[in-house]
Parts: sequence; C-alpha cells; structure tokens
Amino acid sequence: MLARTFEAAGLSTVLVTMMPYWAERLGVPRTIGVEFPYGHPLGRPGDRDTQTAVIRESLRLLEEAAPGEIREMDLAWPQDLDEAKKDWQPLEPSPIIKMMLERRKAQRRQQEGT
Amino acid sequence: MPVDSFKFLPGSIAAYYRGLPAQREEPLPFTRLSKPLDECRFALVTTAGIHQKGVEPPFDTEREKREPFWGDPTFRRIPRDVRQEEIGACHLHTNNRDVLLDLNIALPVHRFAELEAEGTIGSLAPTGYSFMGYQMNTTEWRERYGPEVAALMKGEGVDAVLLTPF
Repeated sequence: MLARTFEAAGLSTVLVTMMPYWAERLGVPRTIGVEFPYGHPLGRPGDRDTQTAVIRESLRLLEEAAPGEIREMDLAWPQDLDEAKKDWQPLEPSPIIKMMLERRKAQRRQQEGT
Repeated sequence: MPVDSFKFLPGSIAAYYRGLPAQREEPLPFTRLSKPLDECRFALVTTAGIHQKGVEPPFDTEREKREPFWGDPTFRRIPRDVRQEEIGACHLHTNNRDVLLDLNIALPVHRFAELEAEGTIGSLAPTGYSFMGYQMNTTEWRERYGPEVAALMKGEGVDAVLLTPF
C-alpha cells in the first residue's frame, strides 16, 4: 500500500517481502520475494552476506522491472522448519490471534453445552 | 523455486490468511528510475514498528491490545547513523529479539552505507522511516501518513525507496 503511494508521488520503489502471495493479489510496483520467517525480510541478524545479496537483487529489479514484476530469490532458511515456525512468533499471541483463540474456545464450549 | 508465502505459519492461520479478501486496484502506479543507481539517493522504509529510543515515543500498542483490529497508523523517523542500542521495538505480531540484535534485517542502514561507500548507489538519505505493520485498515496510511513520508523523502532529495514489510 505504501509502495503505491510513494510511486504515485514520483518515487521508484522496490519491496522485499516474505509474502509475495499478497504482493501479487494487491498489486505492488516491484517485488522481491524471499522465503524467510516473518520479521526477517533481509535474513538473520548479523548475516551480512544474505542482507547484501537481497539488496543487490532489489537494486537490479529497480533498474529492470516491468510494472508489477515479482522476482523470487532462491535462498533457503537455515533453521529447522518446526523450530523456525515457532521462533519468529511473539512471546505472547498477538491481540488478534488471542481474540480468535478465545472466540474458538467459546464456540467449542457452546457446542459442547448443546 | 517458488517462494511459499505460508511456509512458516501454523496451518490454521495460513488458511485464515489465504481466505482474506484482497482487492487489486488498477492502474498500478509506477515511476521508472530516472537516473543510474550510482546517482540515486535512497531511503529505507520498514513496517517493523521500531523507533529511536529517547527521541521519539514507541507506537501505541496499548490501544491495539484493547482493539485488535486497530493499528497505530503513524510513523517514526530513524536517522541513518542511529546506534543499535537506541532501537526500540514493540511489534505485537513477531518476536522482536532479532531486530533488537541487528536493525539491518529490517532497515539496512549499514548495508546501504556500504553500497554508498563502494559507489554502487549515489547516497543513502539522512532519514529512514518506520511504520507499525499488520494494519487491517490502511486508509490513514493512504490518505495521510504515506503522503507525509513521501513529501519528507522528496524534501531530502530521494529518488528511490526500499520497503521492507515486516
């Protein structure tokens, strides 16, 4: 959304995202897709090589992209998948997840009660 | 290898996200790069919800806790020479541990300073910008805060922007 606003204001943008699925559905001027856990668009802390590789690819896309282009990078996340799935999550569930979990619990209680 | 956007999400949440409606608006705004990279000035924008401690206040997460469908739509300025220990983070949807270790995973100021020094890019602007991610309603971004940041960037002579949703 912000990318579209900036482009409309005359700035060229490139967006690095863990969710190219949304970039495709919403329409983003230029997108780099990375298969990293949330909260890590440029990789792991201290991993200068990966951070620089993602940025260099972003700069290439900035020069070459056709409008709406999505380029996906082939970079594997080095952590065990089960561990990685837990590791990026907040220490306590976000307000919206908390609300959904409470709703589901209430529904279950209701079903069990009837 | 196509990127799996849902790889790191628990199954139930992935299914919920996949089902959310999305409206693609046409036409897509697009500004071609007007000069070579080594003449361009860059700005960095993230939705990591970080701020510079002691200079600007954190985002309003108390209201988000009370109203889970609300997100603080304002932004914070992060100077390019910010020190890691000055970074504060309060994103409620991710673990902030890693960005508190290395802000370059979200706002790569040091990587861009290196690219500036080697002459790959023209320069990195003095100021970067941080928003709070996970906004269900982007009206205020679109109508107020997005245009405000665009104007601030243009005021610093910015040509191109790297965005990192968090």
